[in-house]
Amino acid sequence: MSGRVDLSLGLLQGLSGPSCLIYGVGNDGRQDDGLGWAFIDWVEAHSLCPEAELHRNYQLQLEDAELISHKQRVLFVDASKDARLDSFELTQPAPKMDFSFTSHAISVPSILATCLQCFGRLPEVHLLAIRGYEWELQMGLTPAARKNLLAAASELSGHRLPALAPAC
Amino acid sequence: MGRKLVIDPVTRIEGHGKVVVHLDDQNRVVDAKLHVVEFRGFEKFIQGHPYWEAPMFLQRICGICFVSHHLCGAKVLDDIVGVGLKSGIQVTPTAEKMRRLGHYAQMLQSHQTAYFYLIVPEMMFGMDAPPEQRNILGLIEANPDLVKRAVMLRKWGQEVLKTVFGKKMHGISSVPGGVNKNLDAAERDRFLKGEDGLLGMDRVIEYAIEGLELFYDFHRQHRAQVDRFGVVPALNMSLADAEGNVDYYHGLIRVVDENKKLVTEFDYHDYLEHISEAVEDWSYMKFPFLKGLGREAGSVRVGPLARMNVTRSLSTPLAQEALERFHAYTHGRANNMTLHYNWARAIEILHAAELIRDLLNDPDLQKEDLVLTPAPGAWTGEGVGVVEAPRGTLLHHYRANANGAIESANIIVSTTQNNMVINRTVRSVAEEYLDGQAQITEGMMNALEVGIRAYDPCLSCATHALGQMPLVVSVYDAAGALVDERAR
Repeated sequence: MSGRVDLSLGLLQGLSGPSCLIYGVGNDGRQDDGLGWAFIDWVEAHSLCPEAELHRNYQLQLEDAELISHKQRVLFVDASKDARLDSFELTQPAPKMDFSFTSHAISVPSILATCLQCFGRLPEVHLLAIRGYEWELQMGLTPAARKNLLAAASELSGHRLPALAPAC
Repeated sequence: MGRKLVIDPVTRIEGHGKVVVHLDDQNRVVDAKLHVVEFRGFEKFIQGHPYWEAPMFLQRICGICFVSHHLCGAKVLDDIVGVGLKSGIQVTPTAEKMRRLGHYAQMLQSHQTAYFYLIVPEMMFGMDAPPEQRNILGLIEANPDLVKRAVMLRKWGQEVLKTVFGKKMHGISSVPGGVNKNLDAAERDRFLKGEDGLLGMDRVIEYAIEGLELFYDFHRQHRAQVDRFGVVPALNMSLADAEGNVDYYHGLIRVVDENKKLVTEFDYHDYLEHISEAVEDWSYMKFPFLKGLGREAGSVRVGPLARMNVTRSLSTPLAQEALERFHAYTHGRANNMTLHYNWARAIEILHAAELIRDLLNDPDLQKEDLVLTPAPGAWTGEGVGVVEAPRGTLLHHYRANANGAIESANIIVSTTQNNMVINRTVRSVAEEYLDGQAQITEGMMNALEVGIRAYDPCLSCATHALGQMPLVVSVYDAAGALVDERAR
């Protein structure tokens, strides 16, 4: 079971150590599917979490269960098509075998369940889903997605940040 | 009342396809086809781009077999700049061996994904088992130690890729005329000896052997079902060396028939004289065939099963031992049993591991002679590259103008080569499992998917966001009215 997370303290402040991982999922060649990577870009651009491992991948892989098994805290960031989402949502997913596996995709709860089952431990994991709108073969986020990214980034850092660079 | 059964999308394959089975009034199979329902157009996208971008650009076709596209493109570029095999020139030993190292690592990790993650669960639980069980996640619950070993095996392969190409996915190593880096001694030792969280070479081979034994166990327990499932005739095609043994990086294209008699053998630079491609209005995937034999008789099978049918021997001892058992099973004839793709795939996982071990022990990988410089005026502006990708024979062909811009590109991927034989398999499985049945069960539908999955087809990659990937099954009557529908 997953639940919404209180952002009042700024989650990123707790993700600065070397045993932390921030993992962006997506494809920056497919418009708003690049939100996960754009979040990592933003963390790097603002020199936040300097000791954390920053990771970009097109999709989660089963091997990521092994990767997170070495970490204390993990933040997954992905684009979401969920129309119920106004801007972004931060949740704390629980391990669950939801049988979503293909060789190109697997859910975060399934990664957590695999981590627990195969590697015997589980880090503290959050999932940041940022609403995207367009998914065509094109570089650059839509303005609405960039706005959502900035909103999420501001919330997770615990304070207001300067605006992002203009869209490509 | 006639019916039409649709499986859309087919799950646990790369990309998006659907199966349509037409049933008549007595529920007899009238027709069955795999439709590929997405269009990509990479051959068009690349036009106008500088020739040197092609191996970087076109590897984006796939998130699984990107190395094959990268290397295939690199071989084309060798030709284009005038230091390629078309001109009778081979890149330096270090460059060729670095390319092979990446190639074999991809073979290992790609086959590992298909075999351990997609196929072994079905082998262990059966194709009639509930979908939530015959899945890697079901296997994790049943045998976490096996999955842990599979994960560590794939991780090892990916780490080799990262070292050779700079990234686990879509990295760059090959440049026109060679490669941009060698393998230093520390990198070599890391893969041979392992480290905390990374297997050593001996353990990699041990896990590969375990994978092969999983197939032996499965086959022993389900021999009749495995051997009669989707038995379809086809010619077998692979790159092969002068002795008729598979060579995953270079060779002649060799085609053998069901008696392993040579049908044709040719230099892939001349492929347009030998291979044509047909189209159908119901699928975006073309149907290649050998011109000399026509579309029906000239369609070929490629990939692990075809390669094990073509090759006379394998160059590494443990894989050779496994191949002898494989060859003996069909008494020297070609193996047409679709589920034996998985046997062949398991042999190739072991072979790839042994080939990597041999390369890691080769001091050429630490040498510095990485790139050939073309002589003045060597530019040819055209090239063809072929490699044996995990799924089979992959071909790239580009033409560039005098300014170096690509004017045309032709790509024939292995799944396209297999298109006809996959459709034959779908038809065969439909007749075996669905013919005359009043009720269409989940197990029957999965049997069709099992037949397709044996080829590990790569229908492409797509954007990924949270959610998605349902399986919808719809049954229509002959008039097109919806009779039944369910989703999983």
